[in-house]
Order: sequence, then structure tokens, then C-alpha cells
Amino acid sequence: MKITEEIKISDNGFVFNSKTGDSFNLNPLGLELIKQIANDKDFDIIRSEMLEKYDIDDLTFEKDFYEFCALLKHHQITLQDDPLNFV
Amino acid sequence: MEKLKYEKPIISKITAGVPNKFGLPAKQKIISEIDGIPVPKLMEEFGSPLFVLSEKTIKDTYAEAKQAFETRYPKVQFAWSYKTNYLDAICSVFHDEGSWAEVVSGFEFEKALSNGVNGSNIIFNGPDKSEEDLTMAINHNACIHIDHFDELYLLIETTRKLNKKARVAIRVNLDAGIYPIWDRFGFNYENGEAWNAINRIMLAENLEMIGLHTHIGTYIMVASAYAIAATKLSNLYMAIHKKFDHWLKYIDLGGGFASKNTLKGAYMPGSETCPTFDEYAEAISNAIISSEIPHENLPVLFLETGRALIDDAGYLLTTVLANKRSTQGRRTMVIDAGVNLLFTSFWYNLGVFPSKEVSSHVEESTIYGPLCMNIDVIRDAINFPHAKVGDQLVIERVGAYNMTQWMQFITFRPNVILIDLEGKTHIIRKKENLDSLQSFELNPKR
Repeated sequence: MKITEEIKISDNGFVFNSKTGDSFNLNPLGLELIKQIANDKDFDIIRSEMLEKYDIDDLTFEKDFYEFCALLKHHQITLQDDPLNFV
Repeated sequence: MEKLKYEKPIISKITAGVPNKFGLPAKQKIISEIDGIPVPKLMEEFGSPLFVLSEKTIKDTYAEAKQAFETRYPKVQFAWSYKTNYLDAICSVFHDEGSWAEVVSGFEFEKALSNGVNGSNIIFNGPDKSEEDLTMAINHNACIHIDHFDELYLLIETTRKLNKKARVAIRVNLDAGIYPIWDRFGFNYENGEAWNAINRIMLAENLEMIGLHTHIGTYIMVASAYAIAATKLSNLYMAIHKKFDHWLKYIDLGGGFASKNTLKGAYMPGSETCPTFDEYAEAISNAIISSEIPHENLPVLFLETGRALIDDAGYLLTTVLANKRSTQGRRTMVIDAGVNLLFTSFWYNLGVFPSKEVSSHVEESTIYGPLCMNIDVIRDAINFPHAKVGDQLVIERVGAYNMTQWMQFITFRPNVILIDLEGKTHIIRKKENLDSLQSFELNPKR
């Protein structure tokens, strides 16, 4: 999963897609995750870091993470480079 | 090291919509308790979903309505509209406060009698009165409000058979300057139909004409419409006196006062736009008092308001079953209370609130009920925080019509409880079960 080139993310969670003209707001955790995704971090690593840092169980985080990723895809913020890769 | 508080990751699209001068509320409203009892405690004890009615709110609202009218008009009598909520415990609260009963079927008539209401304190409305129903009403000396000529002639025939007198009024439909005009019930004022009916009744030896009734509609947001209706009934009242030298006993303005719920499509919330009891009372009282009727012959003013007296006292407690995303990326939430319990969700944007602080982030969401039916939508668009599975929510202002128009469908109907003035809880209608439902069924042996 890659962030498309046209996406610009500010440090305060504002996202702009120069291709579509759409803009978005991220909450703090959303911003943290999108940065991790932009850095090509693997889900397992992201999960273990988050579980260590936040008061959350693994299944809830997994559910929220995939919902977040689905929204990124829906808003054309991410590209799915490998169609066989679920994430 | 102590872990940080987690909040679900969220991305929301910024859309430039029509400017809203109110904006979003700075803080999400939370209903954590009802009459001092925490919502989780109620749900733990009585299950989910759960209807909760507050006796305190009923009595406070009733007192407010009573004061509004009694300080403006000398003779006022409320009659509890059974169809709005005919659970015995609720009817009893209103009867204890002095309300008569207003019923629209033989079943409701029997229910009022079983609640200890004297037959002469029952107003019998509605277009469906069988000979058996009329016989019961005559025998109990009820006030029969005649809806149409066929009923009038059936009543004349029934009184002859019984050789008894019936106390009657007619329902009048009229143009009160609002749309739609409810002309399907009663006799029309403007075309003279009501006057013809009155003349026929006054000639009938077994009918005693005691009142005039109208019910101009439902959720009437213009108090002045009642003034027009009251003026027209006052005209008929005086016309009857002039022609027959007969003073009627009452004028019944029916119901239809709006509750504080917000109608679908309304720009402003109902709590801001609906007239108060004072405004309705001012309009009605002024119209009657300033009519031609001499002060010493002023009729008793009957009011059959239902919705405005009970809606605020009812809550539905419900639990989040699931969160989903639609193909459009829209957040949707499934709760365990469906439209089969919330008939009023078809015309109101019901207020749905969390019972505790769940998330500071709100997102436009759709709230679905649990039924496996596409129509089961409680709110199609509501700004709502991200609630988790198992979170408890409160739907407010559901006291009117939901507990009479509800339907057993797919799931059992839940417990209904009343919180009394001392803060004690009472189950006033038990949750259904398989036995209770199957007790009505017969399965022929094959």
C-alpha cells in the first residue's frame, strides 16, 4: 500500500490531494498511522508499536487499522500496488 | 510506563456545504441517566433495548399544560388520548392527574373502563363504532362524538332498540388555514354539513347534544390555527343556542399540539420552533372568550392532547451491535432497536445520544436497526461520535405512539419500565417471549 504522489500531508493532520482537489482532516492517531504507511512500514510492526504505546487490544486495533486503510483507498489517498495484497 | 489513551484513527473529507449558522455543537450531548438512575444500571437490570418512561416528566409536562390553560380559561378538562400511549400504568398517571379518557375504538373503551374511568368521563371518538360499541357507550353514558351520517343513523337506531338516551357531540372538520385540511373525519363546517347534522340530532328524541368537537390535524406548528378552529366552533355553539335555545356543555379542540421532536426535512430543531402550551392556550382561550358567547354560558374546554404530553417522558435505551462502512465510505452503525419499535422514526429525526463520552470525533453517520430489512433506518444522517460495539445509546422523546403503533417483527418487543416519583423502577409491560406469542397461534394437526 503506497501513498499516491499527489498527496500532501501537513504536520497538523491536513491532507490535500492535488489530483482530485479533495482535502481531508486526520485525527492524531490517523496522522501517526498515515506517516507510518508513508514510510512503508509493515502492518505487524505498526501494530506492535501501537499496542506498546496505546491502551488498546490487538483485535480492536487491527479492525480500526483496516477500516482506516479502506477509507484511505476509498478517498484515493493510497494505491494498491499489488492487487493480490489484501492490505 | 502508562499507556496513552487510544482513539480510533480517523480521516474525514472536508466538504464545503451550505453554511449552517448554528455550526456543530461544541460538546456532544450525553444522556447518562434518567431521573437519577444510570443508563447502564437500567439496561443491566431490564435488558436492551428498553423503553423507559419517566413519571416525573409526565407530571411536570401535564402541570405545565394545565397551568397554561387554566390561567387563561375558567373551565378546562383534559382527556387522555389512549391511542398515543395506552399502557395501563401510563393511562393511570393521567387519570390520577384528573384526565378523562379519549378513546377511538371499542377496545380502547374497554381499556378505559378497566382502568377505573367512569363511563360518563369517556369521550368516544373515531370513525369505527359498531352497534356493539355504541351500545356499550350508551350504557355507560359516555360522550359519543359522531363522525358521519351513517354512524348518526346507527346511533338513532341503537338508542331506539335500547330505549335509552345517548349523550352526543359531532366532530367538525374545518378550514383552519393550514395544510392539509383534515376533512376525512367528521362533518364539514364550511359547506353546512355540520349544521345539517346538528339539526338532525336536535330533532332526535333519544339524542342529547352536549358538545362540539374538532381535531384539526397533528403536529400543528401554528397556534393561530387553533384560534380559527375555536372561533368556528364558537359560531356553531351560538347558532345552536339561537335556533334551539339550547346551551351545549363543551367545546372540544382535540389534540395535535406539537412535541419538541424535529420533523424530517425541518431546518430548525423542533425544540426551537414548536409553539409552547402557553401559545396554544392563548390562541384558543382568546378566540372563545372574545366570541359572542356570554361569559356565564362559556362552555367547558376539552383538550385531547396526547403527543405533547407524553413524548418527552419516553426514552428508548439501545446498544450498538456493529459499525460498518458503506461502499461510499459513509459510516454506518447498527443498533438493537429497529423501526418496528420506533414508528415515529418515519417522520422524526429522533435524537440519539451516547450514554457516556465515547469519542470527541463526530462523523456524519447512518444508524440502522437490527432488522433484516432495508427500510430499517433509525437516522439516515446524524453527526455522531464513534461508538464501539456494546456502547449504550439513548433515543429521546419516544413516549408518544411508539408503544401503541409498534409491531412484533423478527424480534420480541422489549420491557417497558416506568420510573416513579421516588425513583423506583417498575416493569409496566413485560418483554415478549416465544410462549406469549405462540399463545395466540393454532397449528392444525396434519
